Amino acid sequence: MSFSDIVERIKGVRGVTEVVTSRSALFITATADALKPLAMEIYQIMGGFFRTCIGSDERSINNCFAIYYIFGLDDRGLNIVVKVYADSKKPELPSISDIVPASDWCEMEARDLFGIEFTGRASYRLILPHGWPNGVHPLRKDYSYDSRPVTRAVSERLTLVDTISTVPIGPYHPALHEPEYFELYIEGERVIDVKYRGFHVHRGIEKLGESKLTYQQVNFIAERICGICGFEHSTCYAQVVESAAGIEVPERAKFIRSIVLEIERIHSHLLWVGVVAHLLGYDAGFMHTWRIREHVMTLAELLTGSRKMYGLNLIGGVRRDIDLSKKEKILEVLDTISKEYIELASLMVSIPQVRMRLKGSGVLYKEDARKLSVVGPVARASGLRRDVRKDLPYAAYRYASFNVPVYDDGDNFSRLMVRLDEIKESISIVKQLLDQMPPGPIKVEEFIVPEGVVAISAVEAPRGEDVHFIITGHGRPFRWRVRAPTYQNIPALKHMLKDQPLADAPLTIASIDPCFSCTDRVLVIDSSGSKRTLKLGWGLG
Amino acid sequence: MPNKVIGRSIWVFHLNSGSCNGCDIETLDVLTPYHDAERFGVKLVVSPRHADVVLFTGPITIESLPKVIRALKAMPRPRYIVALGSCAIGGNIWHASYSVVGGVPKLLEILKDEGVNVDGVFYVPGCPIRPESIIYAIALIKGIAKKKVKMKVKKAEP
Repeated sequence: MSFSDIVERIKGVRGVTEVVTSRSALFITATADALKPLAMEIYQIMGGFFRTCIGSDERSINNCFAIYYIFGLDDRGLNIVVKVYADSKKPELPSISDIVPASDWCEMEARDLFGIEFTGRASYRLILPHGWPNGVHPLRKDYSYDSRPVTRAVSERLTLVDTISTVPIGPYHPALHEPEYFELYIEGERVIDVKYRGFHVHRGIEKLGESKLTYQQVNFIAERICGICGFEHSTCYAQVVESAAGIEVPERAKFIRSIVLEIERIHSHLLWVGVVAHLLGYDAGFMHTWRIREHVMTLAELLTGSRKMYGLNLIGGVRRDIDLSKKEKILEVLDTISKEYIELASLMVSIPQVRMRLKGSGVLYKEDARKLSVVGPVARASGLRRDVRKDLPYAAYRYASFNVPVYDDGDNFSRLMVRLDEIKESISIVKQLLDQMPPGPIKVEEFIVPEGVVAISAVEAPRGEDVHFIITGHGRPFRWRVRAPTYQNIPALKHMLKDQPLADAPLTIASIDPCFSCTDRVLVIDSSGSKRTLKLGWGLG
Repeated sequence: MPNKVIGRSIWVFHLNSGSCNGCDIETLDVLTPYHDAERFGVKLVVSPRHADVVLFTGPITIESLPKVIRALKAMPRPRYIVALGSCAIGGNIWHASYSVVGGVPKLLEILKDEGVNVDGVFYVPGCPIRPESIIYAIALIKGIAKKKVKMKVKKAEP
């Protein structure tokens, strides 16, 4: 199907009012009735993936709420954005979660944060704390970032069913390093269902930016979405503003970004390998991977000045250059890592106990993976060749040649192998890019960000595709939304845990490399200057 | 020699109340071979009931607050808190956000209302903290190092 065919087919759907084409995206405005046929067309017939959907309070501009659905045709490197308006008095839209199961969470997010109701599906509270009053939607423009309708949430009890045994995991559990709550329903030794209550780490980053930060400052808060893959978030944010403002980033800055991104991937994957070894009861493996990882942390400190939270990105470029002496040091460290790492990795996968625990457990079949639009190593271990670095090349990845490891079994072992292979690829990418690094400036000093521009950017984080969406505003984003990779992968756990022995559950949960702080962030930034504090008269304890 | 707060080995429980993971991975890093905090007798335990010290990371979110209080109630006395990182100390940039209560000082006020006593709090600043600073905090607790800074409150002239 050619590009013009796609445009024609979309124009042919009843209710599509406007189609605007740009270099890498297709912007469609449609009525609410056209939503389901459009989802059917793009998701089912064209075989697109679902990236996310984004609620937005545009009452100050056009007196409406709006939802943006982002689909991606990965093989063509094309994003399709569908915008639908919802009435400001009674915002209500048809749900597309029956056609696109992956849209389940983001619809509930829009319901919690904007009060947009979705018809034709079961609604539940996803993000806001238990005890938060109904009808208070923190991301609406007329809500002040610092008003707290509740300060003392009560600990809720999730459904404990009498007839089936229930095993709670979390919120503080040795297998989880973050506060999240899983409830496993057990029959005998087998898990028959799983319930998830997350969003303990919802910090309302978006709303903070709305009234506090400027374009450049958001870079640094974006990095604090996640302490492990923070640089991906700040790169993605910088890229999305750059694409909205049409800023040409110097080539050298792109190379530096790619190099640091890959170094972060190495450290993140090593961290994960260590944690998995620990969960397998193979503590020697855990200690050794973390020992090797320490070299990478030193390297990050050398390049950026900090072990974590690099603070390297700015809109328009980066803040630190890589000089010749640093280059030599990088190559030296990479040689040490690859030597020690390859020895450890081959030892680890040859241990029969490790293989037996990982093989055949936590299987995610390809069709389920496709249905839930999972991303990153989880998708690649289930036979989906999805990698943003190849599909929508950004930074300097087009100058490096690398393989995308894909395994077909969809089990925990495949997910381990994907990550082990990726570390080798990352080491090779860093070496290639260091060799080709062009001279020149590393930053554009002056630029203007126009208002009201919509842009999307994606970056391949260690956990998968990270999507940032922006509507620019005056001095700061009008709306900024982050779709972290784990957000897309957690719903897949339901399929992975089903009919599995209970003993494998913590391992399977860890196998998606969950990063809850990313997932729970919910970032939106908006401007518009309306800072009225909502008068919350009702007594809430 | 400065006073020891805890003479015996310190058993720590790691409590993440809304952290971005930056401080968490550095905490874990301290326990692995390179920094090896186990040489000071530090052991990560899996239940607050076994812990002498709770390592706090992240701002306290409204959703995690009741769970945090329950975990602290389960700790035996004496009960020490080490607040790791800017978020745990004062809430960092999220201190005023709609879904965040604040840092450990805010938590202490709430704990006082609840009747939960805390015997001592140590603050380790940084965003994220460096492994060395965690080791320094351990040294302070064990009386190996001496505190270098003093707190002095100066009031402005009227």
